[in-house]
Amino acid sequence: MSEVTSRTLELSQDRRIEVLEAGSGAPLFFLHSAGGIPQWDGVLPILASKFHVHAPLLPGFGSSVGLDALEDHFDLFFHCFDVMEALGLERPYVVGESMGGWIAAEMAALRPREIGRLALAAPIGLWRDEAPIVDLFGYTSNELVPFLFHDTSCEAAQQMRGVGAWLSDKDDRTEAQVEFLLALGRGFKTAAKFLFPIPDRGLERRLHRITAPTLVVWGAEDRFVQPSYANLFLDRIRDARLELIPRAGHAIGAEQAEAYGKALVAFGHG
Amino acid sequence: MKISWFHLMPWRWLPDDFRERYHSVWVDLPNRLYDPERGHQLYNEYLDMLEYADQLGFDAIGVNEHHQNAYGMMPSPNIMAAALARRAERAMILVLGNSIALYNPPIRVAEEFAMLDVISGGRLIAGFPVGTSMDTNYCYGENPATLRDKYREAHDLIIKAWAEREPFAWNGKYTKLRYVNLWPQPIQKPHPPIWVPGLGSIETWDFCLDHDYNYSYLSFSGYKRAQKMMDGYWAHAAKRGKSENPHRAAFFQQVCVSDTDASAEKEWWPHVDYFFNKCLHLYPGTSGAPGYMSEASLRAGIVAQVGNTSQNMGMNKTWKELCEQRYIVAGSPATVRQQLEELAKSLRVGHLAIGLHIGSAPIELTNRNTYLFATQVMPHLHPIFTEYEDICWPKALPASARAKAGAQSAAAKSHAERKIGAAA
Repeated sequence: MSEVTSRTLELSQDRRIEVLEAGSGAPLFFLHSAGGIPQWDGVLPILASKFHVHAPLLPGFGSSVGLDALEDHFDLFFHCFDVMEALGLERPYVVGESMGGWIAAEMAALRPREIGRLALAAPIGLWRDEAPIVDLFGYTSNELVPFLFHDTSCEAAQQMRGVGAWLSDKDDRTEAQVEFLLALGRGFKTAAKFLFPIPDRGLERRLHRITAPTLVVWGAEDRFVQPSYANLFLDRIRDARLELIPRAGHAIGAEQAEAYGKALVAFGHG
Repeated sequence: MKISWFHLMPWRWLPDDFRERYHSVWVDLPNRLYDPERGHQLYNEYLDMLEYADQLGFDAIGVNEHHQNAYGMMPSPNIMAAALARRAERAMILVLGNSIALYNPPIRVAEEFAMLDVISGGRLIAGFPVGTSMDTNYCYGENPATLRDKYREAHDLIIKAWAEREPFAWNGKYTKLRYVNLWPQPIQKPHPPIWVPGLGSIETWDFCLDHDYNYSYLSFSGYKRAQKMMDGYWAHAAKRGKSENPHRAAFFQQVCVSDTDASAEKEWWPHVDYFFNKCLHLYPGTSGAPGYMSEASLRAGIVAQVGNTSQNMGMNKTWKELCEQRYIVAGSPATVRQQLEELAKSLRVGHLAIGLHIGSAPIELTNRNTYLFATQVMPHLHPIFTEYEDICWPKALPASARAKAGAQSAAAKSHAERKIGAAA
């Protein structure tokens, strides 16, 4: 497995952004979900075996700071372009998961010529009353488990339940556990700033502007954002196709990293 | 010290198996449990209780704002305050308060509070809570990451709107108004006293101390559990060189006065049980949206579990435990006198907001509580802290200068209803 390094970009307006990097080859710009990147796992090592992966952490995640400089979602999108530019990436392959998928789609709609290829993994950003996206901010973490995973006994689901147990009424947490919970809270604050209370900021009006060849990936058993949303993306993006991953929920990489990685790698190589 | 009779206005008919069937009293409790015809009786009964408190000489009568819940049914406290302002002629009117970040534009609060101050002859106490996360984020959709910033901007706009005598422009981050020009303006100058509810964050202490606002600790867990927090507040005030005037602080306490300690339990237990085990049945998933609390407060909460977390909200406790731990102050007049004197002196609070209606209590029982408190307890509390000027109290017009509801109606009637052609 290729080595993962972390570096910090100093951007204007006091934004200090941590970027995780691994692998070599064509540039891949990875945008994480609301869970951040607590560990280099899931699909990331697979992508790093074929691409040079750059995975910036949004302000509030990891050691990245500067949320105050981002007032609204357009500030957020331009911030991601700033990061891409600071990394010197030209027309990279952009892969985004869930919240990151929404940001990736918005970037590709805003500046279509600057995105080489685009992969959206269970992206949020659209809304249909008949298929409401689960309220990311209105459940305890334990209760989110059945929405995020197809097999709730998988390792990642168990890990998430374990974290939920730290939020008990008792005062028996270790310092590391407290810091982990606070870090989780910081990341969720960032997610909430751009997505609360309903994760729809008008992407649907802009999807038609995307020109990059696009792969839409969905877990066939996603109970968080129903797979029916994939069709909305396919209908509006001119060059898009779908890859449905069987036996996967919303956290596709946690349950079916291999099939998911294979699809992303194949598409990335065009 | 001053005593405010404070109402929460809960729904009184939640079913026996409420906690098993519903995960919260707030946010998504289906409103099929609400019956508007019963609600009609209930609002009027609750207003009657507040008017009775006015008649018995309480210093203020109080209402507050909550949304989408069966615990406190005043989405618009200003409507209740307006209903009270005409018939309750003596007491100050404590609106604790309006969650100012929820109003768009926030000058709506400046306008309505000014209206209340003018109608009541300068008797308004203006409360500026941030509001619970349930109310502000989950029910009203405000972004938790920016709520407090929006609150601060709304505050600055309201204060300026009350102070300015010429139209001005407001180019805020959250509110942009080309013309701010408040009609009416409040009677009290520069503005009504402002009370800010808080749960122990240093940011809120500083905000109150910066502006000489009353810091109101509205807890349901009683005065003993508030000791550490209030000690922290006073130590912080001293460190900042602010006077230790007890009127800088208010505390909320639920109280049951009865003929004897034994009769207090007999009469009040069903209603106290209803309050702690139904009205405070909250769902942790919507208790605090991400970003609602500052990281410092979050850290304190995670590490020490201070504040209103589920473990100290008073659920599943016996009457004896609730009394001994002072979640409620209950018993004979002598018992209640002794405990409330202890509360005032130990917390150093010059303002007591008192809950004499609890949970499912009907008016007969509530008014008995009010009567015994007013006649047997309040006279013993009033002399406490009189050596300090109350810097957080309304400067109302003297009673003789205030309009009386209907006072001109009789004279006007004979004039209005004279025969056609008769001399005016």
